[in-house]
Amino acid sequence: MNNLKNLLNGQKGPIILGIIIGFLAAIVQGFTISAGGPEAYGFCALCHTRDLVNGLLNISLGTGLGLATVSKAAILPVMTMVGVLIGGFVAAKRSREFRIKHALLKDILVYFIGGVLLMQFGLLFGACPYRAALRLGYGDFIALFGIIGIIVGVWLALLMIMRSNTGGN
Amino acid sequence: MAGVTHDYAFKHRRKLMAAGWISKELAVILVPVITLISGCIIGYFAQRTGFCAIGGFRDYIMFRHTRLLNGFIAMLVSAFVAVLIFHLLTPLAFENFPWAIIKGLLSPIPGAPPDLSSLAYIILALIGGIGMGIIGVYVGGCPLRQFVMTAEGNLKSLWFVMGMVVGSVIFYLVTVGFVTGLFKAAGV
Repeated sequence: MNNLKNLLNGQKGPIILGIIIGFLAAIVQGFTISAGGPEAYGFCALCHTRDLVNGLLNISLGTGLGLATVSKAAILPVMTMVGVLIGGFVAAKRSREFRIKHALLKDILVYFIGGVLLMQFGLLFGACPYRAALRLGYGDFIALFGIIGIIVGVWLALLMIMRSNTGGN
Repeated sequence: MAGVTHDYAFKHRRKLMAAGWISKELAVILVPVITLISGCIIGYFAQRTGFCAIGGFRDYIMFRHTRLLNGFIAMLVSAFVAVLIFHLLTPLAFENFPWAIIKGLLSPIPGAPPDLSSLAYIILALIGGIGMGIIGVYVGGCPLRQFVMTAEGNLKSLWFVMGMVVGSVIFYLVTVGFVTGLFKAAGV
């Protein structure tokens, strides 16, 4: 058990999870395609959040908000992000890393608006970074432009942060 | 007569039966359960490893650290290997693989707003990616990382997740119509 802990904390940890997500997403796709797809939809932090929110609103309020075919057809929308919260909480509790970190009013505004905006950009592209990788792996080369965009965006943000830190003249 | 029906069913098997590993009737019940389990596994390991795609690009550009970037690359490669293996084992469930060859090089897998041109999808992918990259750096992580940090008790990330929840609704009430109209008006 300790060996596994060191392995995940170490250099190879993310590689192991990357392989797990790649295969898990393909397995999940074997099931979601049966309920209506789309392809490369085994895991997506953005789209699955959208499906969960809009799906539950559609069921409870009778609204017609957009969501993926699979979540429209199934009795409940995809539950991936609920699972991520449960899995993350269990892992944090077990490793004694669970700590309430409070947010200042400024943080609340920045993070809330950040969340709203990121959802708009992500859904226009139709993927988060992870589904972008799944789509590219499935042979969708439009997703490659999205990944290039993400890298450019990260680079631009770092440039802006470094400028403002060095005085910004 | 029974033979005719059987032949008909066999020929039209792909139309009568849903593609995929199980029947549609079973899938509509199992999908929430299976995605919940897969989410738990991903969430657990993401907390243990600090997995983050945008963090991977950030660490590499700033410090040439490759730990998180390797995770993203491993995911990309294994996503391809996994669908290749499953496509060979169960072609019906992965019949549109490889997408670019079957559906065309510049047609996207559904997800972005429907009925736009290839050029529009490339522009949306670039703009969407740049937007996600910039915001991701400023809030210290991609959407998955924000969910995991929320599970670790970080209330800033909880507000980010709240923003995503509200953003999901706003997208369909405002953004999708606005952007689709913009592209149609520009003739792209």
